[in-house]
Amino acid sequence: MVFLGAILIFIGLFNQTIQTAILYQHHRYLATKCSDLLDNILLNTGYPLEWGKSNCTPTSFGLQDPEFTQYKLSPFSLMRLNSSLGEPVYYPKTDSYYSNITMGFGKYLLVPYTLAVNYSTASRLLGINGTHGFQLTITPIITVSISEVQSNPLELVVDVTGAGFPLSNAGVSYCLIMVDPTGGEEYPAYTMEYGTTYTDDKGSALLNFPAVDGDAESYVLIAYAHLCGLIGVGYHEHVTYDENYVIPFVSDFEKREVIIAHSYDVHGGDNPAEIAYNATFVLLAEDFTLREIPMENSTGKIGKINYGEGKPYKKITIPTYNPGILVITYRKSAVMCGVVLMPWGIGSMAFPISFGDDPFGQEWVTTDTRQVIVNDVAYQAKLALWSLEGYRVIG
Amino acid sequence: MMRTIEIFIVIIIITGAFIISSFFAVLPQPREVSPLNLRRLALTTLQTLDLDHDLSETMFKPEDDPAWGELQIALSACLPPNMVYNLTVYEVLSGSGGELYLPMNSISNAESLGVGSDAASYLVASSNVTFGVVSEKIGEHGAGGTLYILNCSDANGWWITGYTAQSLAEDLYNLLSPYFLTTIMVQNTTELGQILNGTSLQSETLQNAVVINTCGETVPIPSSYADTYDSGSYAEYCYQLGKRVHQYNWTWVSIVGYPLYYVSNIEYFPNDHNTYGIYGMKCVGAAGLNAFLQGLNDESYSYNGNWITGNPNDNPGLASVHLSPEALYYCNYYGIYPSPYHTSTRALPSSILSTYNLEVTSYTFEQVGSWIAGAFFRHAVSGSFLALGLTRTPDIRLTALGLLCGFKPRLYRSEYTAAGTSRLVVLQLGQPGGV
Repeated sequence: MVFLGAILIFIGLFNQTIQTAILYQHHRYLATKCSDLLDNILLNTGYPLEWGKSNCTPTSFGLQDPEFTQYKLSPFSLMRLNSSLGEPVYYPKTDSYYSNITMGFGKYLLVPYTLAVNYSTASRLLGINGTHGFQLTITPIITVSISEVQSNPLELVVDVTGAGFPLSNAGVSYCLIMVDPTGGEEYPAYTMEYGTTYTDDKGSALLNFPAVDGDAESYVLIAYAHLCGLIGVGYHEHVTYDENYVIPFVSDFEKREVIIAHSYDVHGGDNPAEIAYNATFVLLAEDFTLREIPMENSTGKIGKINYGEGKPYKKITIPTYNPGILVITYRKSAVMCGVVLMPWGIGSMAFPISFGDDPFGQEWVTTDTRQVIVNDVAYQAKLALWSLEGYRVIG
Repeated sequence: MMRTIEIFIVIIIITGAFIISSFFAVLPQPREVSPLNLRRLALTTLQTLDLDHDLSETMFKPEDDPAWGELQIALSACLPPNMVYNLTVYEVLSGSGGELYLPMNSISNAESLGVGSDAASYLVASSNVTFGVVSEKIGEHGAGGTLYILNCSDANGWWITGYTAQSLAEDLYNLLSPYFLTTIMVQNTTELGQILNGTSLQSETLQNAVVINTCGETVPIPSSYADTYDSGSYAEYCYQLGKRVHQYNWTWVSIVGYPLYYVSNIEYFPNDHNTYGIYGMKCVGAAGLNAFLQGLNDESYSYNGNWITGNPNDNPGLASVHLSPEALYYCNYYGIYPSPYHTSTRALPSSILSTYNLEVTSYTFEQVGSWIAGAFFRHAVSGSFLALGLTRTPDIRLTALGLLCGFKPRLYRSEYTAAGTSRLVVLQLGQPGGV
C-alpha cells in the first residue's frame, strides 16, 4: 500500500515536467512549421505561374511574382485572395457576392467570390487542411496618411511613418487629381497636378494648392513616399456629392474587365439619380510620378449609369497588366461630382490584405514575419498558425 | 519499526530521484519555444532596403555621408518596434589564405542585442564595377576549335518553319562564337563541298570541327556531290557525310526533326520539291540517317530505308520530353534558358548505340524508355553526332545548350573579392528583454 502510494506520488511529480516538455516540443514544432509555411507561400509562384492574372483556380498555392525572385509578391495574386477584412458585398445585377477591401469612401477593391481564392482552397493546396489553421496578413510597412489642414486655399499635410517611427527626409511625390464636372460636356473631366517634396524631421510634409478651394471642389491626392528602398502610398479625397456614385467591381482578370455599378443598386440610399462617369488609368513611373495610360473610348472610358431594373451596369477594360490605379470621376450636375479609386494590383494603393481564419480563441498561435515587396511597395507579411489537432505532438 | 524505516527510505529514494531527474531535465527557455525567425527577417529587410540599390550605394559612401542616417531611419522604420539591430559593413578582400573581411562601418540602435540574436549577410557590389565573364574556347587546350555553321544561301530548309536557315545561323553565331576559336559561316554549297573535300576556307583547323546544319531536316548538297552520288535517293551522299565526320573527327549537329531527310541545292534541283511545295530539294527519306550512321561507324554502304526514329510515348498527344538534370544545370551555368518541356516525334532509338558503336556523353533530354530525344553521341573511334529529334519549330537555344553540354567549356568570371568591388553587409537582429 505504501509502495503504491509512493509510485503514485512519483508519477504525479514527473507528470507536470513531462507535460510541459511535450507542450514545449509541440509549440516549437508549430513555430518551425509556421516559418516553413510562410517561406513556402512567399517563395512559390503557385501554378499556373500567372494565376493571378487569370480566372483559373490555382493547382498550387504561392504568391511570389513569377517575373522576379526572392520575396517579391505578385500584386495580382494578392488581389485574388478572398479578403477577411471587410463584409462581403452583394451586387444583385450580377447575382454575385464580392470579396471586399474598402479603405474608406471611394477606395474599393471588390473581387467576385467566384474568382477569389478562398481559405479552404489555399489550406488544401498548402497541405494543412484539417491539421492547421492560418491567417496571412500583408500590411504596408510605410504609412502615408494625408489630412486637410486648411480647405481654402487647400493645404494638406502628409505624414510618413514606419513601425511607429517617423520617416524624416523621405521623398514625397504626389499627384492631385481634380474633378472638372463640366470639362467634358456631358461627362466629367479631370486635371492632374504633380509635385515632389521632402518630409521634415517629424516625417511631415506640407502641400499647398493656392488655386484650389477644398470645400467646393472634388479632388483626390495620391502620394508616394520613398526612403532607402522603402516605398509607401497614401491617398486622400474629398467629394462634393456622395448620394449617387459609381462602384467598380472586378469582373474578369483575364480580360481585365471592371464593372461600373451604380451605388444605389449596391447600398441603396436617398434620391437615386443617373450619373455620368469618366474613367482613367494611372501608373507609377520609375521616378515616382504618376503617368496616365490612355484608355480608348471603345473600352468604356466614359458613360452614363442609372439605377434599378432594366438599367444595366457598364463595363470598362483596363488597358494594361501593369499595376496602377483606376480613377473614376463622376457627376450628377455641374456642381455635384466626386471621384472613386480602385487599385489594379494590390500594391499600387498599398491596400492591406488579411486572408484566412481568425486566430482569436485558439489555444496557441505562433507567428512569423518577413519583409516583402509588392509592386515596389514595402510590405510586411505575417503568418499566424495554429494547430487544429489539440495538444498532441505531431510531425 | 522496520516499516517506518522502509517508508523513510522510500521517501528519500523518491525525493532524491525527483531532484536528480529535475536537475538533468533542462527545459528550453520560453523565448526559444516559439521564436521569430530573425535570420529570415534580417535577410528580407536587407533585400527590401536594396530594392533600388539604395543599400548598395550607401555601403560605399563615407561614414559621414547623410545616406547612413537615412539608412538608420529606414531600418528603424521597417523593423518591428521591439527589435534591436546592429548593421555592420565589411570590405571584402582577397588574401593569401582566403577572403578577408575588414569592418568598415557599423550602425546600431542599442548597446547590446539582448539574450538571443541572429544575423543575415548580404553581399553588395559597387555600382562602379562591372563583373564580366570570359569563356574558355573549345580547342584552346587541345585539338579543334572550329565551328562551321551551314548558312548556305543556295539551299532551302525544312521543319524550320517561321525561320530561315540564315536567321538561325546568325542566332547560332551570336550564341556560340564566344566558345570557339574560329567560327565560320559556310555561305553556300560550294564552300560546303570544299570543307568536305578537306580544304579549309580561312586557314582554320578542319580536324575536330563542329558542323551545325541549320536547314533542319534538309542538308545542303554541293553540285559535285549531287553529280557523283545520284543513285536515286542521294542516301549515299549522307553516307559520305558520315564518313567525313568519322575521318575528320567532326561533330555533326542536327537541330530538329528527322536528320538528313532531304537534300537541297536550289540550282541543282530547280524543279524538284519535297512534296510540300518547297522547291530546290529532293527527298532522301529515312535512308539518309541510316547511311550517315553507317559512314560514321566507318562501315561499308548499303541502302537501308527503314524508319528508325519515333515518338517516345507512341502517342502524338504524349510526346512531351523534358530537359535532363545535366542540361538544367548547364542552363544556369551558361545562362541559356529554353523551355524545359518540348515535343519530340523524331527521337532516336537507343539501339543505335550498339549498332553503330556510339556512346551518349551527355543527354540534352531525359531518355524516355528506349527513345533518346536529344543527346550528344560520340563514336567509339572518331566522330560525334548531336541530334535533337524534336518536332518543329526549332528552338536554337537547345542546339547551343546541347553543344555546350557536350564540350563543357569553362566560364571565367570576374573575381568578386577584388579590392573595392564588393562589401558584405551583416544585419544582426535581437529582441530585448529577459528569458
